[in-house]
Amino acid sequence: MNKFLQDAQDYLPILLQGAVTTAGIAFCALVIATLFGLVLALMRYSGIGVLSWTARSFVNIVRGIPILVQLFYIYFVLPDFGIDLTAFQAGAIGLGIAYSCYMAENFRAGLEAVDKGQVEAAQSIGMSWVLTMRRVVLPQAFRTVLPPYGNTMIMLLKDTSQASVITVAEITFQGKMLAASTFENMTVYTLVAGLYLAFSVPLFLLASYLERRFGKK
Amino acid sequence: MITIKGLHKSFGNLEVLKGIDATVEKGEVVCLIGASGSGKSTLLRCVNGLETYEQGAIDVHGRRVRAEDASIRDIRTRVTMVFQRFNLFPHRTALQNITEGPIFVKGEPRAEAEAHGMALLARMNLADKADAYPEQLSGGQQQRVAIARALAMRPEAILFDEPTSALDPELVGEVLAAMRALAEEGMTMLVVTHEMGFAREVADRVLFMSGGRIVEQGPAAELLSNPQHERTRDFLSRILSPM
Ligand SMILES: Nc1ncnc2c1ncn2[C@@H]1O[C@H](COP(=O)(O)OP(=O)(O)O)[C@@H](O)[C@H]1O
Ligand SMILES: [Mg+2]
Repeated sequence: MNKFLQDAQDYLPILLQGAVTTAGIAFCALVIATLFGLVLALMRYSGIGVLSWTARSFVNIVRGIPILVQLFYIYFVLPDFGIDLTAFQAGAIGLGIAYSCYMAENFRAGLEAVDKGQVEAAQSIGMSWVLTMRRVVLPQAFRTVLPPYGNTMIMLLKDTSQASVITVAEITFQGKMLAASTFENMTVYTLVAGLYLAFSVPLFLLASYLERRFGKK
Repeated sequence: MITIKGLHKSFGNLEVLKGIDATVEKGEVVCLIGASGSGKSTLLRCVNGLETYEQGAIDVHGRRVRAEDASIRDIRTRVTMVFQRFNLFPHRTALQNITEGPIFVKGEPRAEAEAHGMALLARMNLADKADAYPEQLSGGQQQRVAIARALAMRPEAILFDEPTSALDPELVGEVLAAMRALAEEGMTMLVVTHEMGFAREVADRVLFMSGGRIVEQGPAAELLSNPQHERTRDFLSRILSPM
């Protein structure tokens, strides 16, 4: 036990550096996933054939490809087309796009749960589609979407570990390097797991609070 | 003011409106009666551009009502609608429900919209409910807020789709009283209703619909006491003495 604490003290600073990167990539990916997911959900909700079809196809294609392969594609294939991204950028964009599809499904379910009578009431006083969304539908969908949003956020956080394969120096990557050079697998991976829990447990608590506060009555 | 000519409307293979001709003049109160499923709501929704139609024409002040035209938004600010299930915005207070349209659609200054909104609430005997959310209000109060919301656009006419059908019996009277007051002030109204007392006392004219057609129409007293068409007689005898 003493040795564990001793090693932990040595390894933790390196792993904490990784944790900062994990937080950064999770945050950037979350912003991308939220904004882009909202756009996709609104495209489907619009009822306009082309937009709805485009969004649905996009979601199905992206969801049909493993995130790992998407990350490889963005990091290793896009440079052939002159798009050079750092590992961090590729990771954030890849995870953001992959998760925008999960978010889009969450958002769409929330939008469709809003009573159609709300849209008609908004239209009957002359509101445009954009105004109807902004003032009437989105604020109501927001409440139903929060709990699943929290859960998807936790999945996203854990999936940032996949970015280690394209050399993003996040927790898992740092752990792998440490383990490879010290052979202290148990210590290193226990710390790695602990750090992920340190991120996700507060998020679990937040998600279950949102569930209680805003979930179906 | 509202002119409907040869209106046909289908849902898929089901033809719901089979050639409707009707007019509503300025200041007139017209009640639309008929059995459930006869197409009354669909007709009203076409007038508000909430449904498309295949054939015929609806004009408001000579402007064509078409759900797919951009002009529909402007027409809707002139002819607003009150729904059977109120459809108040649950995340906004009574006053906010009312000022939403004036502020965000018409661009009225907030202070002015709120003053007008408070005046409308007072007219609906709801001055003390300005800050209440819809879920804190009874059905009758919600429907009166909905009427105030429709009025806040300063419309030239209001469409009512069975405004009292979702209410507990003891709450019907307060909503009808508010509508009667509106009628007395000269508001143009097209009202789908099963309240024959209201139709008789308030309506200038009554239209009876059956199977997607207007079967009979005339001055309220005349049509209700002395219906000419057999289907009108049938309907009235059933609604006036159920069972
Ligand atoms: N959105 C819709 N899709 C398919 N059928 C509909 C739709 N709305 C109404 N209908 C049908 O049209 C007919 C007339 O309905 P409606 O106008 O609501 O009648 P009313 O208001 O007189 O009770 C009914 O047979 C109803 O089932
Ligand atoms: Mg109806």
